[in-house]
Amino acid sequence: MIRFDALRKTFGSHQAVQSLSLMVCAGEVVALLGPNGSGKSTSLKAAAGLLRPSSGQVLIGEPGLSAMLPLARRGLSFLPQKVSFPDLLTGREVVEFYRRLRGVDPARTDQVLQVAALNGAAGRQVGTYSGGMTQRLGLAVAALPGAPVLLLDEPTSSLDADGLCAFYGLVEQRRQHGQTVLFTSHQWGDVERLADRVAVLVEGRLVADLTQRELSDRLAARGVMRLRIDACPAELLVRVQRVAPGARWALSQLSIPGSAEVRAAALEAVRSGGVEIRGIASDDGRLDLLYRDLAQGAP
Amino acid sequence: MSTPRTSLVLLVARQELLLAARSRWTQIFAAVFAVLALGVSASGYILSGGHGFQDFARTSASLVQLVTLVVPLAALLMGVMALAPERGTAELLFSQPIARRQILVGKLLGLLAALAAAEAVGFGLAGLVVFQNTGEDGAVGYALLVLGSLLLTAVFLSLAALIAAGAVGRKRARALAVALVVWFVAVLLIDLVALGVASLLPSTAASRLLILSVLLNPASAMRTGSLLAIEGTAAFGSGSLALLRFTRGTGGAAVLVTFSLVAWTVLPTLAAIRRLSRADL
Repeated sequence: MIRFDALRKTFGSHQAVQSLSLMVCAGEVVALLGPNGSGKSTSLKAAAGLLRPSSGQVLIGEPGLSAMLPLARRGLSFLPQKVSFPDLLTGREVVEFYRRLRGVDPARTDQVLQVAALNGAAGRQVGTYSGGMTQRLGLAVAALPGAPVLLLDEPTSSLDADGLCAFYGLVEQRRQHGQTVLFTSHQWGDVERLADRVAVLVEGRLVADLTQRELSDRLAARGVMRLRIDACPAELLVRVQRVAPGARWALSQLSIPGSAEVRAAALEAVRSGGVEIRGIASDDGRLDLLYRDLAQGAP
Repeated sequence: MSTPRTSLVLLVARQELLLAARSRWTQIFAAVFAVLALGVSASGYILSGGHGFQDFARTSASLVQLVTLVVPLAALLMGVMALAPERGTAELLFSQPIARRQILVGKLLGLLAALAAAEAVGFGLAGLVVFQNTGEDGAVGYALLVLGSLLLTAVFLSLAALIAAGAVGRKRARALAVALVVWFVAVLLIDLVALGVASLLPSTAASRLLILSVLLNPASAMRTGSLLAIEGTAAFGSGSLALLRFTRGTGGAAVLVTFSLVAWTVLPTLAAIRRLSRADL
């Protein structure tokens, strides 16, 4: 369990996080979303004991201990956004060092190296690793202790397909073991695949705390379907606008904004009008626009 | 399963020693120091037209200057580079269940061991050459110089820790610049300024200033202490002489400079621990 109690963090006159209150329970996987500079990394770093809160606190475990205490940090693993390691150590030496630091069973070293698909490169110095391999080594270190709380700051930003598989596997495993996972991401695929709940931060404020399904619905409601047709007679446009009031005809394209249901009804209206559809494209809403709307209090 | 505190410090120290041993900078320092130390030990041979080596006492007196110049620079630069790591490295390490002070002390111990080993190469080679050619006369003073060099390494590593505490990522370059300024001031500037100001003061005030310039500057304190150990007071500067007059003997002066060096090791380390424990990383 991890609990942010009215966390506020300022850097000089800049308020990075404003009174964040959020609880992530055991067995929950929560995505912390928001545009760049919204305070996601600051919140995670405060939870990892790297930043001292200006006011409020972050409590780890049950009963909650301040993340600034080493004892509290026994219960968490943190993967920084741009994780790096000393170039002169091999991957195995890095994992061994953290294994000893965490007092973990020696057999875990090989296990996490295998999970991170680094077995072949474990004997090489980290200075020779690609960005993705370094990120996978970071995942291996984060996976070492099996701590009840896992904090991941943009863990998939430089992962290839193998790395993504390893990451998804790790999070699924943690969920099954009733552990707490809090991660930040700009990748909607990560959120869709992993998150039970989504917390949205904008300019340091928590503007939404939704289930993943609720967020999907909100994004879908902001979707647009584009139909390529040769012509759009006035009566067809009227019929479509009855089910999708925002529908517009321009440049041989009928644009139909609205939820998935609205778009489906509009498509049916076009088909029943006997017009030949030459092309169709449909997109859900953009996350950045949703952030903006949420920050402005839009539903 | 939890690891005892001492083990954690030693674990960090071992890791730092491994890193420092593999570092090109440590290897270069060891090689340069060894070449210079050998050069100093052989200089008597060269100066006397190939008819003899300097004995331990003369070699030690010559090495004092080398040690006070090179050792602080190496300790400051390598200390800052190791103690102000890249942001991603620091964030991962400091989020582990280990107190920041334990990480700092562990890293300092590892660095001290690595630099001590690098210096031992130079002292060892030079000592071997001198011993084979002139015998063991003055070897105790030479050993005390080695100890003084280790103490000076510890002093400037602790200063590096204070400079680097909490400096990660982009702040690292600034910390390195500060380290260079500290080296220039401690090793070159303070003595010159003290001497210049003292020449403008009445003799009592001038003496006090010169004594302070020795005790408050670890490089001068080490130089004075080492020359006392090898009975090389003939090579004393004005500050060291003023201190010797003030203590009316070598015993008191030795105690004061030792106290100064120990204080210069402990106090910056404590300040670095305090600064690091409050820093946002």
